[in-house]
Amino acid sequence: MKAVNESRRRAPGLALAGAVAAVLLSPGITLADPVHTPVTDDMLVNAAREADNWIMPGRDYAGTRYSPLAKINTKNVKRMVPVYAFSFGVQDAQNTTPLVVDGVMYVTSSHGKIFAVEAATGRQLWAFSHPLPENIGKMMCCDVGNRGAAVYGDKVFYVTPDAHVIALNRETGEKVWDVVVGDYTKAQTMTVAPLVVKGKVVVGMSGAEYPTRLWIDALDAETGAQVWRRYTIPGPGEPGFDTWGDTDPEIWKYGGGSAWITGSYDPKLDTLYWSTGNPNPDWDGEGRKGDNLYTNSTLALNPDTGEIKFHYQYTPWDVWDFDGVNETILANIDGKRVWLHGDRNGFLYKIDRTDGSFVWAKEISVVNWATGFTPEGRPIIDESKVPTYEHKAMNVCPASEGGKWWNPMSYDPVKKIVVVPSREICVDILAGKSERVEGKYNLGIAEADWIKGHGQLVAFDAASGEKKWTVQAPSPYTGGVLTTGGGLSFVGTPEGDFKAYDTNTGEELWSFQTGSGIVGSPIAFAVDGKQYIAVPSGWGGWTGWATWGGKGGSPHLKDNRKGGMLFVFSLFDGKK
Amino acid sequence: MNKTLTALALGLAVTAVHAEELVNPLTPDAEHIAEGKKLYNRTGCMACHGNNARGAVGPDLTDDVWLRQPTDQMIFNTIRNGRSGTVMSGFAGDLTDTQIWQIITWLKDENRKRKEAGK
Repeated sequence: MKAVNESRRRAPGLALAGAVAAVLLSPGITLADPVHTPVTDDMLVNAAREADNWIMPGRDYAGTRYSPLAKINTKNVKRMVPVYAFSFGVQDAQNTTPLVVDGVMYVTSSHGKIFAVEAATGRQLWAFSHPLPENIGKMMCCDVGNRGAAVYGDKVFYVTPDAHVIALNRETGEKVWDVVVGDYTKAQTMTVAPLVVKGKVVVGMSGAEYPTRLWIDALDAETGAQVWRRYTIPGPGEPGFDTWGDTDPEIWKYGGGSAWITGSYDPKLDTLYWSTGNPNPDWDGEGRKGDNLYTNSTLALNPDTGEIKFHYQYTPWDVWDFDGVNETILANIDGKRVWLHGDRNGFLYKIDRTDGSFVWAKEISVVNWATGFTPEGRPIIDESKVPTYEHKAMNVCPASEGGKWWNPMSYDPVKKIVVVPSREICVDILAGKSERVEGKYNLGIAEADWIKGHGQLVAFDAASGEKKWTVQAPSPYTGGVLTTGGGLSFVGTPEGDFKAYDTNTGEELWSFQTGSGIVGSPIAFAVDGKQYIAVPSGWGGWTGWATWGGKGGSPHLKDNRKGGMLFVFSLFDGKK
Repeated sequence: MNKTLTALALGLAVTAVHAEELVNPLTPDAEHIAEGKKLYNRTGCMACHGNNARGAVGPDLTDDVWLRQPTDQMIFNTIRNGRSGTVMSGFAGDLTDTQIWQIITWLKDENRKRKEAGK
């Protein structure tokens, strides 16, 4: 796609002319219609410099979730107030990260909906709803949510729980193309926020709590045609096929390996980094004795072909449901090109992104299933923490939500601080044999008792891996983190509090009660020079960790109220 | 006159059908209760409703406060057909009617146990 920087420079002028015309015509006429600048490859590559915009899920190809905007900062955030609330019209997990392009917000919700909203005012521009099959809820382990959209050219892309990838016209919300990439009746479902790379819409599948063989797809952005598919579990004869043991010859067809968190892209290395989830059955490793490649790994892929250049595996032969699926944040630190990854297994990793070699791993939370690492970065397992059919592993730390759960951390590249939403919750596990039936849960668990713990927000020096500060909380932080040039770290809680902390010290500077638990991610954007912060609110998702067992990890979250709203904030300036 | 009588008769018949609410045909014996618990776990209900149905992201199914004190018929219909617009799917294709009643038998027994324990 050609760069259209000329039209970008024209766009602000056009918008201004439109606004002036609207004022002159009549006091009753509302804001001028937004200008929909085509999103180009150049804009995506340079997304970090689009100060006012948030044009991809992780804000930039490095996935930092850092905004350079600084008008809202540590000195004045106490004056931040809500500007508007936008209702999605549905409840259940609001896992989304909104996007903003030149004053237009694209935001997805639970139950297959997507909206275009005038970002400064909350006025709806259009809404699109994909009708879901009635039985979709039981085909998804963890609610009927969605993690966000992607924009490219004149289109916005999002996925649906029943495995559709849909392209809509950004201006009108009309469907351009709609392709089905999986069979939801076999629990091949989708929640991922796509990433557009070199004209291809890249998406990953959900469903590793069910017997599935999952994949990453790249679709042509213009037509939806499949360009490549990368299965995360090798087939017969492929490298890694022999890491699944020899007791179950069919396991490779059902071994899971989901890919539901948006990856990152390094344009200079021309490498796509996409991480994979747990093997199936989650807690029963008896029938798959081996490293189970490429589950719980970050794959470095050729974005044109999906070929695996190299990989790093976080948890080989996983029997704790330590999905390795979390984001990889690309950073250049001390002359090294690395990625940072906060894993479910409790460790924050720094890995060399040129070849996948291990740099270091630091405990985010207490970790006792591994006692250390080999020089190559392979974890050294404590056998007493391995659950089997006969052995109930007690007080395994962390429990399956980590460490760090799926909700994203954020990296401030100026301060070189990474802020990680975390928890200290452990679990007792007894594995069990469950029947493998396509489309049905296959967890491999006989008993699981989560032990009451607490939440924490942890900031690390990304160079050394030292903890800079830790904020403790009654509940795990279940929202994603945003860091900003104003020195702030924003994150939401299950109690519905949206909070701002000083990135340097962890001091809490501001809080707002949104009415329902926050399980989505905040963004920062600006329109006409005014900065805003947005966050979705609406509890849901997999919450067994809160209540399962004798007490559960956070029993006070039982009956936590659901919701479905987007809140947008800015500094109070005395005007209506 | 005949048309009026016919309409009246039909109306009474419809009323009679609606008056027959479904009630659990199973006796709450140990076998049905045990099977109901097994089915609850095997079907995957615990993913949303918690182990022992005490609630997770889905509601606690063992207390009295479960949305307007549902009748047996309402509970049966919800498990069989789901609730449109929510995450709750129907399980008609996964469970027979008898199996659904067994799950309900177990849930009611859990409710009884909680009341006896004063919880």
